[in-house]
Amino acid sequence: MTPSSFKQELLKKWVLGLQSCGSMAKEMSFLERKNAIKLSADIAMASARGGKTRWSRAVISSASKRDDSKLLVRNILGNEFERLMKASVGTPSCNKRFMSKKILRMSRGLRRLRRSTARRRVQASSIAKRMVQRRTQVLKSLVPGGESMDGFSLIEETLDYILSLRAQVDVMRCLADASERLKSK
Amino acid sequence: MMNTALPEMLHCLQTPENLAGNGADLTVLERQRAQLKWLQQQQQQYQQIYFSESQFNVFLPPTTDALQLQDLINNDTTLQKLVNRSMKADSGLANEWPDFGKYSTTSTGFAGQATSFASNGLEPNSLAMGHCLSRTSSCPPAMTLPDGEGRDSVFIASVVERERMKKRKADEAQNPMVTVSEDIRDKRVKVDAEEMESKITEQNTSATISDTPPTTTTHNSNKNDNANNNNNREASSDTSKENPKAPQVPKPDYIHVRARRGQATDSHSLAERVRREKISDRMKYLQNLVPGCNKITGKAGMLDEIINYVQSLQRQVEFLSMKLAAVNPRIDFSVDNLFRKESAQTFPAPDCTGNFSTAGLSSEMANPAYLQFNPVHQVVSLDNPQEMALRRTFSAPMAVPADTFNETASFTQVPHSCSTWENDLQGLYNMGFHQQGRSSAGFPPHAFPVDQQTN
Repeated sequence: MTPSSFKQELLKKWVLGLQSCGSMAKEMSFLERKNAIKLSADIAMASARGGKTRWSRAVISSASKRDDSKLLVRNILGNEFERLMKASVGTPSCNKRFMSKKILRMSRGLRRLRRSTARRRVQASSIAKRMVQRRTQVLKSLVPGGESMDGFSLIEETLDYILSLRAQVDVMRCLADASERLKSK
Repeated sequence: MMNTALPEMLHCLQTPENLAGNGADLTVLERQRAQLKWLQQQQQQYQQIYFSESQFNVFLPPTTDALQLQDLINNDTTLQKLVNRSMKADSGLANEWPDFGKYSTTSTGFAGQATSFASNGLEPNSLAMGHCLSRTSSCPPAMTLPDGEGRDSVFIASVVERERMKKRKADEAQNPMVTVSEDIRDKRVKVDAEEMESKITEQNTSATISDTPPTTTTHNSNKNDNANNNNNREASSDTSKENPKAPQVPKPDYIHVRARRGQATDSHSLAERVRREKISDRMKYLQNLVPGCNKITGKAGMLDEIINYVQSLQRQVEFLSMKLAAVNPRIDFSVDNLFRKESAQTFPAPDCTGNFSTAGLSSEMANPAYLQFNPVHQVVSLDNPQEMALRRTFSAPMAVPADTFNETASFTQVPHSCSTWENDLQGLYNMGFHQQGRSSAGFPPHAFPVDQQTN
């Protein structure tokens, strides 16, 4: 998927989404409008990426669960595509497995901690590990759907997410510039 | 089990012998004899032997004739029976070390096969130092390698691994060990190692898969499982240590991870290393993506930069959406923003090519036909005077750098970032293609926007 084709897709879907909520535009406040614009952009970005990446699926699934964005998702995706998304997700079971493993791991670690509090050695490696862990947590909170990813897939998803974010920023900036110039003229 | 392995063994043993026969310092025969002697002495002198925790496979060292082989096999089975017992170091063994050194050299070919070795692994160091191997249950006895026998072997590798894992106290004693193990591998040995390795791989898997020694405890079976897992994971990970002269062995779905010199060959650590290498590969991509990440080494710092970058991008999205909301009272950018492709004729300046996409008016218009990001030189009819005016306003500020001119199907060239992004992406995608070609099977192709699937 070339960058420009991605941008095309994004723009197309974004405009589609914008139009679908354009009917209510007059009653919306500034914040509501901004949120609608942002939401459409995010969903458009995720759907332009297709169901291939976990973050895109996470964005779409979380948006379709929320009442205010459900309609938007359906409009942007179109019915068949939405069905595809739902089919390709299948994450609830994986998520549960992942979360339960995580809980087990955490409990084991806690038990060990309680036992070995006496001899706690502050080593450079452990400090480094903790640093990396903390940052990984932050990154997981940033990338949509990142909570249930392991280290390696997190990095791949981040890679893809960064590229898509850049494309989104580019598209939005172009549109913003164009409409600004239009307005000023 | 052994019978099937035997002919293969013999065959593979021929080659090292042939190679060795060409004026080698140590003939394979000598080595094998030393092995046999050592093994026999092992049995006599020790009641317990340390074996590595990770795998215990039937290690079939090369022998020239079937009889010796049989003896060895018998020895091995008896050794295997001693797997679970702990062993105490016996300084009396020190005399045997030179022989053992020769023994270890033959195991060069198994560098990648942590499994087979760790089982029979003897830890030269701790024994040589007379250290008690009470630290771990599966610590192989130590040995001192004779100097100059700088052959990389899994024994040495496992030794080094033990060193790392257990943090020996006798550092000076270890150093000769380490230096020996980190000597350059003998290339000749490497060559036959390569051949042997592939064959032994299959042997080992057949050996491990079939029922191994009668005293299969759960310990053993775990080791076998690990061996299988090790064999079944794909990684073409290794690097400059690959011997280019080595014949290309047809590899089944195995992962051949070459243990680099001085590194552990335990299956766990091998898997760890594979995983770490994958992660570091991806981090390299991210380094290229995230501006300012080139100077930073170290995972935490790079993660910091990545986090900052993602946050800044997200903030930019927020800001732009606010801007868009402020710019016009209506959300749907309908009538005002109808742009068509611009022609080179309208704008005499060659670098004022703003290819702006059309934002569809209604849903029927918002189809791909309207969004045409075509090559720069296409002509479009402009009937809307407003659009003309708009384009003229665009032309002035559009100082597009010359290199973007070459971009086909460029989205828009007004913001410089677009073109650079495409340049970056092209480079990245190329890397991605290359990477996909030789990356491990574990790489999920979908995660990369590069892949050949077209939307």
